Amino acid sequence: MSFGSPYLTLPEFQYIRPKSLQEILELLDRHGEEARILAGGVALISFMKERLVAPTYVIDIKALKGFNRIEHTPGKGLSIGPTTTMTEIAAYEPVKQRYGALHDAASLVGDITLRNRATLVGNICEALPWNDGLASLTLFDAQLTLKSLQSERLLRVEEFIKGIMETDLRPDEVITSIRIPEPPENSRSIYVKTTSRSEFSIANIGALVSNPKTPKKRLVRLAYAAAAPTPIRVPEAEEVFRRPGKLSDLMDEAMPIIIEKVAPMTDMHASSEYRTHLIDILTRKVLKELMEGK
Amino acid sequence: MPLEINLKVNGKDEKVIVKDNELLLDVLRDKLQLKSVKASCWRGECGLCTVLLNGAPVKSCLILAAEVEGGEVTTVEGLSKDGVLSPIQKAFVENGALQCGFCTPAFVLLSHHLLAINPDMSEEEIREGISGLICRCGAYKQIVSAIKAAAPSYKASSP
Repeated sequence: MSFGSPYLTLPEFQYIRPKSLQEILELLDRHGEEARILAGGVALISFMKERLVAPTYVIDIKALKGFNRIEHTPGKGLSIGPTTTMTEIAAYEPVKQRYGALHDAASLVGDITLRNRATLVGNICEALPWNDGLASLTLFDAQLTLKSLQSERLLRVEEFIKGIMETDLRPDEVITSIRIPEPPENSRSIYVKTTSRSEFSIANIGALVSNPKTPKKRLVRLAYAAAAPTPIRVPEAEEVFRRPGKLSDLMDEAMPIIIEKVAPMTDMHASSEYRTHLIDILTRKVLKELMEGK
Repeated sequence: MPLEINLKVNGKDEKVIVKDNELLLDVLRDKLQLKSVKASCWRGECGLCTVLLNGAPVKSCLILAAEVEGGEVTTVEGLSKDGVLSPIQKAFVENGALQCGFCTPAFVLLSHHLLAINPDMSEEEIREGISGLICRCGAYKQIVSAIKAAAPSYKASSP
């Protein structure tokens, strides 16, 4: 991501490569305000070149064994480490089979050279509203584990993201895992964005549906990012789909609720009207595909 | 504080003294004289500094040299053997997949990797695969043809 700054060199810093979590936590405890965690570096190195950040210490966490894990435990869900790359997530069979929207999101990040370095945790910490991790993780009720010497916290992704490039990460904390519960039984999910290769995607949607043909058991989840400063779910609109009726009628009823909740903004990338239009057509498209298989 | 790093570059063990904030790109070009690795946008957008790190294509302008300690780097200099071009290099020549040639090392390395993991790519998959690299001359059509032309030799060599 570029802001067009003329700086192309890196500021001076001290590179540290700790071997244990304890060491990371102690470093953060001592130097938190002047330190930044380095995982894939896609965001951090770009941001340092742009002088958006100029830490005194860069703490590379890639030497930690197990930090790059990705593990699915049936009945419990998925655990993803802080240095697991998008390539590793996209290639992981249980993600392909059970967490379709996450597979889509990991596959749609940048290109292969970036996906080989970019991590999902880094994507969340960068906290740009159009980042692919946001809507897909919000869709699955993902939780982040944040550790410091003094504390351990669990936060949902939509609680962690506070605004554009703003998160709830404290200077002495490191994210040690993303935990994603099992998706509902018999569910299928997809993730789409307005353009598959744009740095500035202007509407990202994750959708999940289970039991599409049985209104009483039917469950619909919708998560949005890029459309608003922080990722959100729309429970009031999701409820609409529990009722019987033609899909097009249900969508007509749900859409104003979604638009009101998402409150699309006007910025340099798109007008509020255009975002509203995209949210409308993309939502209808993904729901049609999940409910009717087209 | 200067750091000593050990890495294998094109099959050869190297020991290099680097600064904490030095990029892999700069070390490859200026300390190891591998000028096929192009410095162009410096911000992860053009992809012309692509190298294979432990076998996977990455942008060397977004990686610190210090991060690569113990790693293995391949640049296009490492693809030919005893002066004989590799199949993908031959295919680029035979298909005229370049004009000025500035982006060619990066495209050759990336194509080599894409074919090694899937020699049966569709045209769409090839186009998606190379989407992170920019050819300012616009030789994409010929680059896609070269990748298709080299595919059979990767099928023959895969188990």
